[in-house]
Amino acid sequence: MKWPFQKAETDLDLEVRYHLEALADGFEKEGLTRAQAMKRARAEFGGVEKIKDECRDESRWNWVFQIGQDLRFGWRMMRRSWPITAAAVATLALGIGATTAILTLADALLWRSLGVPNPEQLTELLWTSKDRPEGLIRGSSGSSFMDGGLRVADFFSQNGYEAIRQAAKGKAEVAAHINDSAVSTSFAGKVTVAVMRGVSGNFFPMLQVQPFAGRMLSDADEQAGASPAVVVTHWYWAKHLGNTEDAIGKTIMINNIAYVIAGVLPPEFTGIVPGDPTDIFTPVIFESNFMSEEGWYRKAKTDPQSWWIQLLARRAPGVTPQQLQSAIEPAFAASWPAQPKSAEATPRVRLLDAAQGLGKIRRRFGDPMWTLLGLVVLVLVIACANIANLLLSRAVEREKEAAMRVSLGCGAGRLMRQFFTESMLLAAIGGVASIGVAMVLSKLMVNLLPNGLGEMALSTGIGLRALLGAGAVTVLTALLFGLYPAWRTARVSAAPALKEGSGTGGTMSRARWAPAKILVLVQVALGVLLVTAAIVFTARLNELVAKDTGFERDHVLLFDVRPGEIGYKGDRLQRFYFDLEERLGALPGVESVGLARTRPMRGGGYWDDVGIPGEKKRVGSAIHHTNWGFIPALGVPIVAGRTITVQEARAKAKVAVISENMVRELGLASPVGSRIHFDKFDYEVVGVAKTARYSEMDRATPPVLYIPFPYERTAATVVLRTAVPPLTVLAAVREQIRELNRDLPLVDIYPMQDQISRTLQRERMFAWLCGSFGVLALVLCGVGLYGLMSHTTARRTGEIGIRMALGATRGNVMSQVLFEGLLLAFAGLLLGVPLALYAANVATTQKLLPEGATPYWTLAAAIAGLTAAAVMAVLGPALRASSIDPMQALRRG
Amino acid sequence: MAKKSDLLQGTLDLLVLKTLAAEPMHGYGIAQRILLSSRQVLDVQQGSLYPALHRLERKGLVSSEWREGDNGRMAKVYSLRKAGRKQLEDEMEEWSRYIAAIQCVLEA
Repeated sequence: MKWPFQKAETDLDLEVRYHLEALADGFEKEGLTRAQAMKRARAEFGGVEKIKDECRDESRWNWVFQIGQDLRFGWRMMRRSWPITAAAVATLALGIGATTAILTLADALLWRSLGVPNPEQLTELLWTSKDRPEGLIRGSSGSSFMDGGLRVADFFSQNGYEAIRQAAKGKAEVAAHINDSAVSTSFAGKVTVAVMRGVSGNFFPMLQVQPFAGRMLSDADEQAGASPAVVVTHWYWAKHLGNTEDAIGKTIMINNIAYVIAGVLPPEFTGIVPGDPTDIFTPVIFESNFMSEEGWYRKAKTDPQSWWIQLLARRAPGVTPQQLQSAIEPAFAASWPAQPKSAEATPRVRLLDAAQGLGKIRRRFGDPMWTLLGLVVLVLVIACANIANLLLSRAVEREKEAAMRVSLGCGAGRLMRQFFTESMLLAAIGGVASIGVAMVLSKLMVNLLPNGLGEMALSTGIGLRALLGAGAVTVLTALLFGLYPAWRTARVSAAPALKEGSGTGGTMSRARWAPAKILVLVQVALGVLLVTAAIVFTARLNELVAKDTGFERDHVLLFDVRPGEIGYKGDRLQRFYFDLEERLGALPGVESVGLARTRPMRGGGYWDDVGIPGEKKRVGSAIHHTNWGFIPALGVPIVAGRTITVQEARAKAKVAVISENMVRELGLASPVGSRIHFDKFDYEVVGVAKTARYSEMDRATPPVLYIPFPYERTAATVVLRTAVPPLTVLAAVREQIRELNRDLPLVDIYPMQDQISRTLQRERMFAWLCGSFGVLALVLCGVGLYGLMSHTTARRTGEIGIRMALGATRGNVMSQVLFEGLLLAFAGLLLGVPLALYAANVATTQKLLPEGATPYWTLAAAIAGLTAAAVMAVLGPALRASSIDPMQALRRG
Repeated sequence: MAKKSDLLQGTLDLLVLKTLAAEPMHGYGIAQRILLSSRQVLDVQQGSLYPALHRLERKGLVSSEWREGDNGRMAKVYSLRKAGRKQLEDEMEEWSRYIAAIQCVLEA
């Protein structure tokens, strides 16, 4: 294909050639040879190239030719001052890239709406109470969080759900879903681990999701007599089910139970929470926890004191959340099995807008994301200041050139266009580079985010809107300051600029450098803030990671086995666990073999109340169902009594080990030998363990109850204490398990250290990003200061030459330049300190930082870092100034 | 050969429009016609016709299309548009007034 301007060029060529040949034909008839005739024709015609050029000037495509000229000239100018160009491009790329990456992430986590029609109608149903609603809830599954003294929870009982659904009829459709869980699947001979979520039959009709293929689940799928059916996400179908519609109606084995694949969800539906890891949806009654015989859910379904269902509703058009709330509040209260003990312990419905999905992720990542957004905006401001500065210094250099062009007849418009083109060229190169930076940064964030969340954030690539937004700001800056010289030249007459000699002779007027100095000042001040933030949050992460866990964390290996899912049952299952304990225990390098229902340090877990028989007092505590080897394997010291024995564990004896803080909270005088009450049974306390962490690093350490592991469990976490680095025993462990059963996979294998850092992903991501912003700020400030100082010294070559001729030593000159640069930097630092202190104060009130962590030493470190950067930035220009040869400088001036 | 005269600034456009008023023509033809009708008095470099033609085309006074020329080659043929005809009338009127004014002064 030809561009219009290319066609114009060939047309012009043909037209002129026609004329020349027609003339030549005539001359040939007069008796000239062809060559002579052509020569004569050219003479009659006039200068061919000159005329063509004049034609081009008249062409509609004239601007294309001129842009070509402008670009070529711009490119030459950029190459001539390549350090400035490189600095400007790098600044653009880093500034836009970082902003884009963060905005993309924020969009995915906070702002993107669910992929369903009219997402603004969706409402999450929660309840709040000040005190724990005693008597209403015995057991729960779900999540809760604190909001200004109120406990907010997302779980309801089966009859609570039914009552609410009834009461909301006409105002809203209320659907249920339950916590997701990992399952193993087998389809067409391929075995995978997937995430399954149970939902009510009206869940997809409520969301108004249309199937990509097959059908969605409906109320009929949870009627008595229905066979287990699933719908899968588009992603899972494409990756694991062969990406063909043939999969519809086929059977997929999930935890060894057959399910029919009913349909595939559309690609735009990625779940009900940002980064939803769910691959497979099934009716609640067919969810894997429901299918297992020992399942807690089965009992929960008929127990009004078990709260385990989460609710999502779609309001009918025109119904306000307040109307919905007042409609369901009485029904909710009427569904309770008993009256609340007090007004404080009375649950109240709370509605939460769910257009962007459930609030879980926003609650967890919202505050850090807003902080990161704030910081990245500062980075962008610094970057823009840098570009402004670099272009300003170039502008001063080019004033003479511009004046020359004007005096040779170049119009102001044409001059503006030249500078405009150059700025655009710069912006374009920086923009392209910024895409690379954004992608690298995004990759980094994916690795820092919890499973699925990162992939989700990038599922749509780096956000185009974010890229355009960040790009627009920076490009605007580039244009603004790129056009400045043209604007100046158009205003002032050419003569004085031309007369200013070579431009290196005079001293610069202070006024002209004032904007540049202010920009550097602002940069350094913001730099203090960013670098301080970087140090503070990195230090906070290290502190959290290093925090005492109460157990010996080196030399522990964790992995899961799920024998129940490949058909082990009853005695055979029990035998399997006994064999596992013996085989692994006999391995060289393995000191003890622990089995547990809950994986330590994963977050969440099994929580319930523990009390003293006959007393009303209850202590909320974390429960570890363990075998006899667990406590030594985890490395929790026993401070009194003993641990659980092999016989007790295997006989499921009613014995318990409790943590020191539980002893304190229950107020037991002599704990060993006393009795405690938990879940309908009394247990004899045989030992007291040192207080140790259960599942999270960033919360208070809870009381922990250790009781014997029931060997009927379908899955367990194996905890190995090793005498050698933990991963070195892995090969032998695999070998032993293969000998037990070659179809049994080991799942989620981590040394304890890695497991702990995984629980701190949010803090890790935050610290990493703050850290990189800090480094970025340091670099950008350095570049800004360097640009300013190298240009002021270059402009003052003549002045320095005179000083040296009058007796100034090289040392004098150098220290003068150093002094000027550092004075500027220190002024910036001085401005930055109160800024940083104020920000630290805000961070503390926002609970991003612990109380009383006023970062004086970090502030000092940040100042030291920036000072070092400033010295490095100023040293180059200072050295160059001191090596000026006075004779040459004067001669040139 | 008679002594040649320089072309007055700005009159080339007028000549081109006038020439095209008779019939559509390619650049070579226009050049020959102007030379012929001026009895070879006007000293116009033939090439300088083209910037004028392109200018008139950009202003929308003439249009162009490719047609087969006399020698079998493709030639770009220009024809006068409505706006061009109007422009021609205006400029001819202007020109007559100009000539008349000059005459008045010279004969006074």
